[in-house]
Amino acid sequence: MSKVIYIVEDNENKNYKYNIKEDTIIYHFSINSSSEVIIDLDKEGVRLDYYYNNINYDDNKFSIKVNHLKKNTHSELYNHGVNVFCNKLMYYVDGVVLKNSSKCICNQDNQIINMDNGKSAICPNLLIDNYDVDSNHAAYIGKFKDEAMFYLMSRGISREVAYRLLLNGFLINSDSIEKDKIKLFLDEIEKI
Amino acid sequence: MLEINHLNAKVKDKEIEILKDFSLKINSSEIHAIMGPNGTGKSTLAKVLMGHYGYEVTGGDILFDNDNIVSLEVNERAKKGIFLCMQDPTVIEGVSNSEFLRTAKGEITGEKVNLYSFIKDMDSAMKSVSLDSNMLHRSLNQGFSGGEKKKNEVLQLKVLKPKFIILDELDSGLDVDSLRIVCENINEYIKENPETSILIITHYPRILEYIKPDYVHVMVDGKIQKTGNIDLAFTVEKDGYLGIGSGVNV
Repeated sequence: MSKVIYIVEDNENKNYKYNIKEDTIIYHFSINSSSEVIIDLDKEGVRLDYYYNNINYDDNKFSIKVNHLKKNTHSELYNHGVNVFCNKLMYYVDGVVLKNSSKCICNQDNQIINMDNGKSAICPNLLIDNYDVDSNHAAYIGKFKDEAMFYLMSRGISREVAYRLLLNGFLINSDSIEKDKIKLFLDEIEKI
Repeated sequence: MLEINHLNAKVKDKEIEILKDFSLKINSSEIHAIMGPNGTGKSTLAKVLMGHYGYEVTGGDILFDNDNIVSLEVNERAKKGIFLCMQDPTVIEGVSNSEFLRTAKGEITGEKVNLYSFIKDMDSAMKSVSLDSNMLHRSLNQGFSGGEKKKNEVLQLKVLKPKFIILDELDSGLDVDSLRIVCENINEYIKENPETSILIITHYPRILEYIKPDYVHVMVDGKIQKTGNIDLAFTVEKDGYLGIGSGVNV
């Protein structure tokens, strides 16, 4: 059973630091905020799942750095953002594996949906100093795919409802999220 | 039910026409099959009928129940009762199968769908297409095998109850048993809804042994070149498209 942490932030700039010694899931919901996160995986075999979901209206940045300090540690980062207007949204995502931290898994999946002509950027960095590591990154910036919209609409769903389904699926991307803990964020999705 | 008159269509932003003066009439309760070489426009026809964003109709009409649907949005065509069973159903991460289907059913019927009764109904519908009930709660088509995706298409069809079904290469990616299961379900659907019409797009006559067509058309270079009965499909399989010669237009 993993430890679960919820962060919900609304128009604030905050820094977070975690020293992880047990399996942990962090759900980070951010409304128009900038934040910096540093996480140390500090016990052999420990796993981190980090879900960052962000609705953005102004110029903001999110940076996260995961340090694999011990062997056999595992990180999975899912960073999803929606840039609503023509602003600048930056993601800096670092996975760091030290020389002695063998057999680590260090993955990151970053996606930003531009709803207008926002200037979004993702800087994924994997700084790996060990040969026995499994590490991947993915980054996507753009609109929701036309093919997804076509599929939903081909089943009778209107464009507006289809868009909302995609938006909800993108920003609430885990079945385990307890909805009552993120009411503020859910309400904000409805306003988009 | 469906009347396509002198339809011309091309890929958007390109000049090459794919459908060229294409005409076809499908009445209620009729099953038509279209066969043809690769790249001849069969799947384009399916997508154009559904209103796919990648194609532009440059001439002709598509009448569905006597209404011209060329200018209708994709969802409006679906609401009229057109269902495209896709060759490669799209994966949509984060949107659960159940949320999607319940929303679609609500949009099609215009009524609020009760979650409890929906889940209960889905349970038996999923059993009938041999899909595990936990797939209802997974992201739409994500991690589904080729066969599971096709079964999921047939499941949607049973829930949304269309009156005109386009099967775009239903048999691709299906093993023998899965093909039999999906075809049995479609036949059962036709039995329960006898007014339903079907357009089957296929390369092989195998599917036509399960879902018997009234007419088989051979499409070449964007239009129908020959029409016949199921024997035409077996001739194509035996002799290829070059072996059928010129024929009767529709």
